Amino acid sequence: MRQFAKPLLAVAAICTAAAAQAQTAGSISGGDEMLDRIRAKWQPGGAEMIPQDVLTMFPCHDEELPCGKIPPPPVERVTFDGPLQGDAKRGEAIATNVRYGNCIACHILPGHEGGTIGPSLSEYSKRGMPLEYTYQRIWDVRAFNPYAFMPVYGPNRVLTDQEIRDVMVFIGTGGK
Amino acid sequence: MNRLLQLGLLLTLVATVHAQVQHDFWPGRERVIPHVSGDEMWSGTYKNWKDSEAVKKSMAAGMMSRDINFKDFRWLEKSFDGELKVDMGREVFHRKSSNGRSCATCHGENGEKLKGWYATQPRFSAKANRVIVAATQISICAKEHLSEDWPENTRNNSLLDMYLAYLSDGRDVDIDVTSGPMKEAYEKGRDLFFKRTGHFHFACASCHTGVTTQSYLRGQRPSTFFGDAAHYPIYHFPYRLPGDDVEDIFTLQHQIKSCQMLSRMLPGVEGSRTLTAIEVFLKASANGYKMSIPTQEYNMSTGYLLRDGL
Repeated sequence: MRQFAKPLLAVAAICTAAAAQAQTAGSISGGDEMLDRIRAKWQPGGAEMIPQDVLTMFPCHDEELPCGKIPPPPVERVTFDGPLQGDAKRGEAIATNVRYGNCIACHILPGHEGGTIGPSLSEYSKRGMPLEYTYQRIWDVRAFNPYAFMPVYGPNRVLTDQEIRDVMVFIGTGGK
Repeated sequence: MNRLLQLGLLLTLVATVHAQVQHDFWPGRERVIPHVSGDEMWSGTYKNWKDSEAVKKSMAAGMMSRDINFKDFRWLEKSFDGELKVDMGREVFHRKSSNGRSCATCHGENGEKLKGWYATQPRFSAKANRVIVAATQISICAKEHLSEDWPENTRNNSLLDMYLAYLSDGRDVDIDVTSGPMKEAYEKGRDLFFKRTGHFHFACASCHTGVTTQSYLRGQRPSTFFGDAAHYPIYHFPYRLPGDDVEDIFTLQHQIKSCQMLSRMLPGVEGSRTLTAIEVFLKASANGYKMSIPTQEYNMSTGYLLRDGL
């Protein structure tokens, strides 16, 4: 057994790193089955709350239901394809609507009072954060911190690629 | 080399499972204890609100309500609207059903024999052969003795729930989760509380632990999971749960379901094993805390707004 110790450790390290990296995925572009299924049943931003048959697509508390056994969505690492183009007005609507992105629940936003759980984004443009960083942070925050308090907007198809870009334009994401 | 490959595959499997658990559960669930004083390990503010005297002292010292875990404006005063619901519950308690019996037939006038009972709920029921919440016990009783169909999410059940809780006003919550099915339910409830679910991939712990509990969540002020369960059911501004009528009494079962909805999780079924387990966890986390019934989520005193500079 002893002669295996070193290679074993190396294999273990590689395997752990691979598992921690989990899955790398691209942005939602073209056809996306999960997004299509959600948006066919529910359009965010309207008067209706998200319906139950959409919610059963994600892990749930009830262990007697199939969704109780769904594993957590794998961490998605994404790349940002520039340039950043989006509609600030649309981004504002997404960020401030409780049935859409609801960023305002935790963040103070440009022109809006909001929650104090996350950092204030009222002057985000002055921070000059790279677009790549901001995009990944919104898409799947777990890439930086597995226990962050943010929704996983990308992996669970809460927002689309373009909707995230709209929000980025609204908060005035600077950088390159 | 073959052996090495096998071991490698095994390790990959172990590492993958480990990674899943890491992302499925919020950290810290191993630190919980079934007593309200356990909050010292979380918000660290327990001493500021451990009883009503401590809350008053903290307020007089000018502490911000977030340093009192929001207990100052939430449970200190009784709710006038809640008093009306208690009266309505008392009426249901004494109302004779078609067989000529009422709750008072067995439990005495004004619930004489049920004083203190609510402070010990949920508990294991030999009849149901599982742990059940008070609302489930009410439902079972109503069917058996009154021939009434009052499941957990019905009006009469909630009114009775409010009245029975009122009969334990001032008692300390006392749930024994040290062994048997109650221990199992507590541990299951704890794990579910820390499990991330739903469209947002949130856990109950996302809002009720850590930095969130010291902050403002849009118009809401989430507290830690310690102590609050002692004051349920509460009067709540009329609110519609999916599939239900407008509800103005929030039992803990209603509250859990409402939280699930707001966090885009699949709302559970009231009285189910899952929601019961979560209630056992929450109620045990209020062990040793005095019940205050009836109260409401935000009471009439707005002094906290001035103290917090809002």
